[in-house]
Amino acid sequence: MTLPDDKELESILGDGVDLNTFKQILEMDEPGDNEFSTSIVFGFFEQAEETFESMNTALNEKDLDKLSELGHFLKGSSATLGLIKVRDGCEKIQRYGKQENLDGSPEPDTNVCLERVKEALTAVKSDYEEVEVGLKKFYDKDDEEEEGA
Amino acid sequence: MSGTEASAAQGGGGNNASEFVRKLFRMLEDPSHQDVARWGKDGDSFVVVEGEKFTRSILPKHFKHSNMSSFIRQLNKYDFHKVKPSGDGDSTSPNGNVLEFKHPYFRVDSKDDLDNIRRKAPATRKPQVPEDFTTSQHVSVISEQLTATQQQVQQLQELFADVSQTNRLLVNEVLTLQKMLNAQKQAQHEMLNYLSPYNHSRNSGMMGHSMNSNGGMSTADGDEAVPELRRARELLSSVAPDTVADRELERLHDIYESPADSATMVTPVSMPMMHDPMNDISRYPVYPVGQTVGIDPFHSDHINKIPYAMPNEGSSGSLDHHQQQQHTTQPGASNQMTSTSGHAESMDKPASLWGAKKPVVFLVEDDGTCAKIGIKFLKSMGCDVEHAINGVEAFNRINAVGRDHFDLIFMDIIMPRLDGVSATMYIRQHCPTTPIIAMTSNIRPDEVNGYFEHGMNGVLAKPFTKEGMLKSVKTNLQHLLKNPPNQSDNGHGSGFLMNVPYLSTTGNPIKFESPTPPTGAGGSNWTSGHISQNGVDQGFGLMDGSSQYNMAQSRGGYSTMDASSGRLSDHDSPPEKRQRLNNSQRNYA
Repeated sequence: MTLPDDKELESILGDGVDLNTFKQILEMDEPGDNEFSTSIVFGFFEQAEETFESMNTALNEKDLDKLSELGHFLKGSSATLGLIKVRDGCEKIQRYGKQENLDGSPEPDTNVCLERVKEALTAVKSDYEEVEVGLKKFYDKDDEEEEGA
Repeated sequence: MSGTEASAAQGGGGNNASEFVRKLFRMLEDPSHQDVARWGKDGDSFVVVEGEKFTRSILPKHFKHSNMSSFIRQLNKYDFHKVKPSGDGDSTSPNGNVLEFKHPYFRVDSKDDLDNIRRKAPATRKPQVPEDFTTSQHVSVISEQLTATQQQVQQLQELFADVSQTNRLLVNEVLTLQKMLNAQKQAQHEMLNYLSPYNHSRNSGMMGHSMNSNGGMSTADGDEAVPELRRARELLSSVAPDTVADRELERLHDIYESPADSATMVTPVSMPMMHDPMNDISRYPVYPVGQTVGIDPFHSDHINKIPYAMPNEGSSGSLDHHQQQQHTTQPGASNQMTSTSGHAESMDKPASLWGAKKPVVFLVEDDGTCAKIGIKFLKSMGCDVEHAINGVEAFNRINAVGRDHFDLIFMDIIMPRLDGVSATMYIRQHCPTTPIIAMTSNIRPDEVNGYFEHGMNGVLAKPFTKEGMLKSVKTNLQHLLKNPPNQSDNGHGSGFLMNVPYLSTTGNPIKFESPTPPTGAGGSNWTSGHISQNGVDQGFGLMDGSSQYNMAQSRGGYSTMDASSGRLSDHDSPPEKRQRLNNSQRNYA
């Protein structure tokens, strides 16, 4: 496959993806297919959706510790893929789950924290959907090109 | 009733007297009905002359009722006695219903004595018997509760005894550990002092050879001749004892121990072994901790501003280069990565990186995405990779294959079942030398110090890049490299500088010699200006917590050399420390 240039890539993926990080994953693909990066990206989709599900459950159970843990977990993989918006959202969830404000100061009110996590989760889901659409578009497009070629 | 009567009572003097008695007294003082009720002729009794009129008019006025028998009952309660009317000439009363009452303290001339007129103790009531059942039930319930409470108290006492015993042990243990720690710090300093001249001469010798193409840089480097040593010192000195906590400990210890014992035990805490004059006033065990002059690069404020950038970001030339390479079918993805940062020689093919033996790397990581990418990166570098998803699995695997199986371990910190730090502590029991690199996004200085203290050898900041990982691999597996870095990277400024710190630590088993992120003085080169500059150019510095410091520092020296080197030596380290550290540094300052 050929990599589209940065502008094209950015127009497909949107500003929620750090191109340099993501390209690093693409560069791990064997020439001619993107099996590896596809497996990583689609593996991440599964992981993210499961994690959001768990986050919802933890929110209902008001389990801030669990939320922080889940935030940390998804932060790691989203950052590795360069999904910076998702990463930042997860960071927020991790922080508020630890009852910290974004600047690291303690936030003793658990209800405030739960509320903030809820907001952050809504935001991160929409950021996620955005990059999901972009990434799927990217891989679809690639497939078409390969079929055409 | 309160207002008027209270003031009347005060006026009458008999303040404490019962309401009834005072009313009675006032009634008798009232001149308007002397014909109905009045003092007896001796003033030691009172007389109700006309019972009927008394009941109708006087009782309602003074006692708010009109019930003679109730009045008499009240009198009885206060121990008034009915007396036989004294013949005082009033016996004119035809009805003969004159009543006269008497109380020893109830006298016309002695209001104060009213206080002594008390209600008689109420007679014990007869109808107790029907209540006995419920009462006894209450009593038994209460006594049960009491027993339960007593048991609880006893349990709490036992618990308290246990806890205080444990606490005493812990306090002693902590003090002993502090003592050991101080001794070890001392030992480490001795080693550092011993190593300083050695490394310095070696480093500067090497500088002289390799860096003559860029004279300015060698100056900058000379100034930082032995970054490991300095950072090791900083690391040591950054672990300042919490004096408040220490004092509290001592206090506890004093409580637990006899004074004689505590004197010997507390000594190591309160009297550091260093002869440094600074220590005599401030109780730092090794070095006085310098003021935090510089910016802490790991502070979240800064971390968040540092882009998680790739090495090729910000250099448009390399991007073009990069694009071109995409069109070739050259398999070495690593080539693309590394060429952009300017040291491709040793990286043309992954296989060429290593000598006779391919390194076996153990990746311990619970997150599937990170793990897959990490494995891919490592494999592309020509390493054999094994993967474990938590600390327990890692520990078991290492036990199963033996201590020499793995050449390098990348260890996630936050993992289910057993975290990376704990896993490292277990692994270190059997496997003391295999380098273990913490792979984490938690890279605050205290956290990083924790990793080193628990036996880890380096930090790879997450999200890691191939570049960062490659540096960790190369740094820790130099003995397996086909081309040692000091030969392969000559002439490539940043690439070379990156490796400088490692050259001096080759084969050095002392763990605190490993590259560590800076605290205090060392961090000063990370001014925000540099972050914006280096963050883009050299963003991958962040990817490897162990080397980003070097990167930034080298880069800082490179771009704003005079300013940074001057500042470093003039302001950023406490004078004594600098002097001790390396006298020769002053020559460059």
